Amino acid sequence: MADKILKKAGLGALIESVTGKGGRFVAPTTDSRQVVFKKVKSAEEVATDYILARNSFKEFLFPQTEVVAEFTMSKDSVDMKGVEVYAPQTVVFGARPCEAASLAGMRALFTWDFIDEFYTKREENTVVVTVACTKGDDACFCTTVNLSPESTEGTDVYLREAADSYIVQAVTEKGKKFVETHAAVFSEGNAKAEPLFMPEKIANIDIAKVSARLKDKTHYDDKVWARLTSKCIGCGACTFVCPTCRCFDIVDEGTAFEGERRKNWDSCQYDTFTLHASGHNPREHQHQRWRNRFMCKFHFYPEKFSSKGCVGCGRCIRVCPVRLDITEVMEEFSK
Amino acid sequence: MEKILRQKAKELLESGAVNVVIGYGWNRSKTRTTPVFITDPAQADTLVWNPLCVNNLSLYLTRKFKEIKALGKPAIVAKGCDIRNIVVLITEGQFKREDVFIIGMTCNGVVYKQELWKGELTANIMPTKCHNCDVRNPHMTDFVVGEKTNFTPPEVPTGMVFDKIKELDSKPQSERWDFWIKEFSKCVKCYACRQVCSLCYCERCITEKNMPQWIETSAHPRGNLSWNLTRAMHLVGRCTFCGECERACPVNIPLNLINQKMIGVVKESFDFKSGYDEKTHPPMIVFSPDDKENFIK
Ligand code: SF4
Ligand code: SF4
Ligand code: SF4
Ligand code: SF4
Ligand code: SF4
Repeated sequence: MADKILKKAGLGALIESVTGKGGRFVAPTTDSRQVVFKKVKSAEEVATDYILARNSFKEFLFPQTEVVAEFTMSKDSVDMKGVEVYAPQTVVFGARPCEAASLAGMRALFTWDFIDEFYTKREENTVVVTVACTKGDDACFCTTVNLSPESTEGTDVYLREAADSYIVQAVTEKGKKFVETHAAVFSEGNAKAEPLFMPEKIANIDIAKVSARLKDKTHYDDKVWARLTSKCIGCGACTFVCPTCRCFDIVDEGTAFEGERRKNWDSCQYDTFTLHASGHNPREHQHQRWRNRFMCKFHFYPEKFSSKGCVGCGRCIRVCPVRLDITEVMEEFSK
Repeated sequence: MEKILRQKAKELLESGAVNVVIGYGWNRSKTRTTPVFITDPAQADTLVWNPLCVNNLSLYLTRKFKEIKALGKPAIVAKGCDIRNIVVLITEGQFKREDVFIIGMTCNGVVYKQELWKGELTANIMPTKCHNCDVRNPHMTDFVVGEKTNFTPPEVPTGMVFDKIKELDSKPQSERWDFWIKEFSKCVKCYACRQVCSLCYCERCITEKNMPQWIETSAHPRGNLSWNLTRAMHLVGRCTFCGECERACPVNIPLNLINQKMIGVVKESFDFKSGYDEKTHPPMIVFSPDDKENFIK
């Protein structure tokens, strides 16, 4: 049986087909000496030689800053007005299998006790086109968290790279529809897939053990936290690039008379994150904040939402200015 | 050098002269260095020294790091450029010279970012600060590790910080404005630049003051511009060009251009460069009757 093929030379046509119908096409592109996910207009802009984009594509579903309401105030009244959710048809091209798997957790959170349409509507209108990894680095650890370059969780269309084409597999209904809608750019044919990059599973890590350890609260005051993580400077960069981190803060900005209510990214790594108005801070030390991040990934998410809190993309390791490596902590908690 | 470093660290910890040695160690796979805090003399052998030792560890001497302070008197492994930040911290009254034991490392340069390391240090992968370094032989120390060095990098690449500043300065104001607006528009307001800077030691940064809100926290152009400019202004005459902020910025904003530009302005106006002498106060915090501006008199 012949495969469905997308010629690499046909990527431009796919972009045109998507943007021609009014959609946004998001892909890894080189900006300021690094590869990042951005909206692109042509195939020339799309980077091909990269491991993972520096940022995750979450910002197209959950932007850094977003107006969720507008208000005007007068002496004795406040008028609050909702805003239309911006949810254009979106294609995320060139995601990696690890980060695609982050969507289940994102969705679980944004539909938990309240349906956050700013997220759900956008996600519903987004097609995730994953390109399986043919290269990686020593920060990649998907195989340690039970994923791999072969995983299709969260992926709508899964692409394997061949010499001058991609071999296409539509995974979800949404993915099938996408391939049908843009049928003209796909063809039938045979191609030989390039070998995948398979990160070696880190031998001393057992994530079931990590989660079990975290469930038992006695770890809370374990000296291990301070020993391994007090070098953390609380910069929050790890949470900003992480595909599963999704904490936000609601702020009102404007003048005394009118303004906007905005939803901005926040980070549990900031000392102000849990600072109470009284001045008390239940997570006073940086290692306690780091402990929260780790628990969020390996305890809260699996326990509460039965979903992955960490997909092993390694972004947090690459971006950390003090090279705090989450797998070294996982190793410690696997003992 | 590593051997002497480890030996000294061990000796200091064993004798009780210090309680903790702040230095560099390896990550698990020995591909990257990472800060370590050694309290047990037996662990002194995990200290490393190589061109991947980029972090400016003086950060951990600041009051933001209460847990590290609680460990007791520190010794710090520091390059000349890191010592410049320690000097500024002392001139600003953050601690006294005798509160820290400085193990100065003679230095022929480090990499700009650890991921650039391919096994050999060349001028191409060094930051600008290393190209024209005047503190290779560290200037304020309690102990020096390494032989005196006269190293000068053979071929310095063009297009680095000074060239870029020149290029920007030659442009009309509107173009410079556009350049910065474009760069700052990438800012995600993570504040990594602030967190990694040992001179950003305020426990309550102006960005966190919200009654009234001085700086909008949203990552939109107006909020970003006010953040980046305010931070720059708070470092005038203090910043040493250590480059940590640019290294930590996850979206690669060229913060070193701002840092070096300010250093140039301060040098020209006050004939002052920060971080060389712990007894001289930086110009922004002194009143001098000889000041060439007379508005204050
Ligand atoms: S915690 Fe790190 S490795 Fe895990 S998903 Fe987030 S960025 Fe990726
Ligand atoms: S990137 Fe590193 S230093 Fe920054 S908050 Fe995360 S773990 Fe801490
Ligand atoms: S600036 Fe000087 S002391 Fe600092 S790392 Fe470069 S060469 Fe070494
Ligand atoms: S270069 Fe950046 S991190 Fe270093 S002192 Fe200046 S502002 Fe701070
Ligand atoms: S580190 Fe970069 S992105 Fe983060 S706040 Fe500073 S300038 Fe903005």
